[in-house]
Amino acid sequence: MSLDTEVDALKKVPLFRDVDDAKLRLLAFISERMSFRAGEHLCEQGESGDVAYIILEGSADIQISTNHGPATVATVKQNDVVGEIAILIDVPRTASVVATTEMKVLAIAKDNFLKLLKNFPDMAIEVMRVLAQRLERTTREVGRLRAGSAGAEK
Amino acid sequence: MQKSLFGFIWKFSKRQQLTILGITMLSFPILYMTLELPKWIVNDAIDGSDFPRTILGYQLEQIPYLLTLCAIFLGLVVLNNVVKFVLNVYKGVVGERMLRRLRYLLYFQIMRFRLPQFRGVSAGELISMMIAEVEDLGVFIGDAVATPAFQGGTLIVYIVFIFVQDPFLGAAAVSLYPIQGYIIPKLQRRVVLLARDRVKNVRKISDKVGESVAGITEIHAHDTSQWHLADITDKLLTNYRIRLEIYKRKYMIKFINNFMNQLPPFFFYSVGGYLVISGELTFGALVAVLAAYKDLANPWKELITYYQNLSNMNVKYDTVIENFDPPNMYPPTRLDADREEDVSLDGDIVFNNVSASFGSGQEVADIRLTIPAHEQMVVFGSGSSGRTEVLLLAAGLMDAASGRVEIGGKSLDQLAESALGRDIAYVGPSPYMFNDTIRGNVVYSLRHRPVGPAEIDEDEHKLRLSEAKLTGNSRYDFDASWEDLASAGVEDARDLDQHILDLFDRTGLGNDLFRMGLKSNIDPEADPELAERVLEARRTITERIRSDEELRDLVDLWRADAFNPNGSLAENALFALPSDPSVPLEQIAQDADVIAALKEAGVHDDLVDIGAQVAETMIELFSGMAVDDSLMGDFSLLTNDQLPAFEPYVRAYRTGGYAALKPEQASELVGLAFRVVPARHRLAEIDDDRAARFVSGREIVRKRLEALGGRFALFDPEHYIKPLKVEENILFGKPRLDRRGASDRIEAFIRNALSELGVRDPLAKAGLDYHVGVAGSRLSPVQRRRVGLVRALLKRPKITLLDGTVDEEPRVIDEIRKACGDNTLVVGTASTQVARRFGRIVVMQEGRLVQDGDYDSVASAISEDQDEDHRAQADEAVEAEEETA
Repeated sequence: MSLDTEVDALKKVPLFRDVDDAKLRLLAFISERMSFRAGEHLCEQGESGDVAYIILEGSADIQISTNHGPATVATVKQNDVVGEIAILIDVPRTASVVATTEMKVLAIAKDNFLKLLKNFPDMAIEVMRVLAQRLERTTREVGRLRAGSAGAEK
Repeated sequence: MQKSLFGFIWKFSKRQQLTILGITMLSFPILYMTLELPKWIVNDAIDGSDFPRTILGYQLEQIPYLLTLCAIFLGLVVLNNVVKFVLNVYKGVVGERMLRRLRYLLYFQIMRFRLPQFRGVSAGELISMMIAEVEDLGVFIGDAVATPAFQGGTLIVYIVFIFVQDPFLGAAAVSLYPIQGYIIPKLQRRVVLLARDRVKNVRKISDKVGESVAGITEIHAHDTSQWHLADITDKLLTNYRIRLEIYKRKYMIKFINNFMNQLPPFFFYSVGGYLVISGELTFGALVAVLAAYKDLANPWKELITYYQNLSNMNVKYDTVIENFDPPNMYPPTRLDADREEDVSLDGDIVFNNVSASFGSGQEVADIRLTIPAHEQMVVFGSGSSGRTEVLLLAAGLMDAASGRVEIGGKSLDQLAESALGRDIAYVGPSPYMFNDTIRGNVVYSLRHRPVGPAEIDEDEHKLRLSEAKLTGNSRYDFDASWEDLASAGVEDARDLDQHILDLFDRTGLGNDLFRMGLKSNIDPEADPELAERVLEARRTITERIRSDEELRDLVDLWRADAFNPNGSLAENALFALPSDPSVPLEQIAQDADVIAALKEAGVHDDLVDIGAQVAETMIELFSGMAVDDSLMGDFSLLTNDQLPAFEPYVRAYRTGGYAALKPEQASELVGLAFRVVPARHRLAEIDDDRAARFVSGREIVRKRLEALGGRFALFDPEHYIKPLKVEENILFGKPRLDRRGASDRIEAFIRNALSELGVRDPLAKAGLDYHVGVAGSRLSPVQRRRVGLVRALLKRPKITLLDGTVDEEPRVIDEIRKACGDNTLVVGTASTQVARRFGRIVVMQEGRLVQDGDYDSVASAISEDQDEDHRAQADEAVEAEEETA
């Protein structure tokens, strides 16, 4: 149970990939270590979320509710992160996360994360860069889809 | 009160002042003899002849004669000093008694202020006047008569002596006194005026400081600290300027005085010298005059100092008194301690054409109203409608400008507080909370007069009483028991608690009390019964947790044979805590016995190692990076100031190991380690071996701590653990930090289980010991109103007047109506929800009574928007309350 293993996990999260070690240690320190039993919900679809989870051990299903009950759309495992958008803006959870095994996770609370960003603007820039890359990718994807659908209409 | 300082001194200490004067006079002959005797010794005993001499029939040779005189001399010296000592002590006694009397009088005057008069004064100023400003008077009063009499007398003796030697030189010696007598008062007058300004300025400063403390939220909320700082800067500058002016004048007076004192010798030498040469004066006489003049300087200087002091004290007295003597105060008889008339305020409340104004333009005009005894009714209106004034008038807290308010035919302004305050209860929208427990705040309404003797020995009691008499203070003993249980209708303290709890349940605060009880620390010795019930609850609840898988997963129970990562390392290592809950964890390591116990148990080095690791990580995380308080304060185990202090410890430990640390440095590290909660902090490696060492060491630590005689409370499933809160005692474990929401869920479980077990009421009673903080700051506004309400209901008043007390929860009013039973109840409200529950409603608008009847008949006057306004206000109040909660 030491910070080092948590830092290793954090380093594998794309959002924090280029943040230096010392700050990640601080981030790990101000986060909480939590455990979940198989079947427990890490978060609930529709709830307002203010925590991101970094999975240190175990795996979980991402489920969205459909007319026919919950449907699993993806699985997350060690070193994956869930709910990172929630620590940046207030949005309801888009899916539920249900533990499929015993899990150990690192919970990063929104308030603490924002305090950290406030203290280290270069870390904020790092996060911004990652988000911008994602946006760029999404924009390209949307453009491609549009072009595709426009082509199909013709 | 006496208008002048001397009037005050003379009226209350005439005899004492004359005694001081008497003792002073008594010291003269002794002083004279101590001056005279050395002459005898030299001239008569050493240099004399004709021995043996006869003293009191004894024949003495030269040596015995000398020794006898020396012995007498020694005796006189001792006697002289004894007289001086007695005199000084007596002066001190007189001065302090007078000061005590003055302060008591000032406080008594405050009690006599009428309500509107409090609008013009600030607490900060009153405190500054009553405490600091009159302080010097104590010293002065002892000298007030003796000094001028003594120094003046001495001065006159010397002057007469000089005049006898030569009238002309005598005239020269005193020639400048008239000039000094003219100039010095002029300068002093200016000093007096400045002193007055200074006092007022200082008062303003203390008022500003008081205001800043009270309004600190506003200051930070509006970024006005700079404005306040500038304000103080300005006031301090004014203070500096005034003081500088005072100094200048004071030393100018000194300068003039010194100069004038040294001028006459000029005349003595010139004119006196001329007279000697011309043979009109003997040389011896001139020397005698010069010597006498030298002695003259001292008493004169003393007199001048006294004069300066006197004028200074006069200013102080005047500037204080003028604030405590406003016109039209309550007559002293209203507060008379002996006035215990058996007036029963049982009867109709009648307003005969009453008009009144309460400062600031709010007024009520021409109110004609009869509230029959035993009726329960409503006065409806917004805050500025005159509703509050009507209730204050009925409570006798405000006076009619014209017309009369009568209860049962007796005019309220003629009645003493002892009658008004027992039969009438008034609760406003924000009742004041005293800095005491909830119980203290509630039973407050029963403290009219002592009901039993104080538990002090007879001599102490007599002393207190005689001192109180000598200084005109209250003869009631504060340590006596004051709670008049009979007026609450209960037999003993136990009944009283139950009764209070019933009232709180009725007013809807019972559950809050229960919660406070759970969070409180109780003393198992003071209340063994409650402690026993808590232990019973612990057994049941532990059992339930053990048998319920889900609950078991949320709690880490304390077990003597297991490490608890959700508890602090202090608790884990000692399996005990200091009996005094106010001792912080890190301070335990300063206890040499604890360190010795840890060493013996073999975990001391582990703790030092953990402490060093933690300090190192803290330094790495917080020292290297400039982080602000939001992160530091919430997360760092070391403050910004502590970080550099720990740096050398860590360095020493890393290079030289344990041996390189001084014992106190090692203790600091242990203290730091004590605060670590492994499940939360994850800072240090606590492997299974280490954890096992902590556990196996507990037995040795326990034996050691046990020997310390109650300084530590050992964790024991069968005993109440004093430093832990009631809730922690019941759980005897820690909610797991790694399980989401464990602490909330466990708390809810405990609360439900306790209600089931019937422990709720005893714990709610423990909640009565909750401290409300300064002005009730630890309670929400609603809670404060409820406490005020219970305070009022407890004394079973014949007339209960509530003003805006229950608007936020109209349902409570039904319970209050029941609690009031057959007694008169008048509820001031702006809520139609409250109003519609009553059969009679009086509607106030703009200071006039506009409607009187049942709800339907006055419905038109209760305009909708008025109600809306009010509802908005109530909502705001609720929101504010939630925020504070």
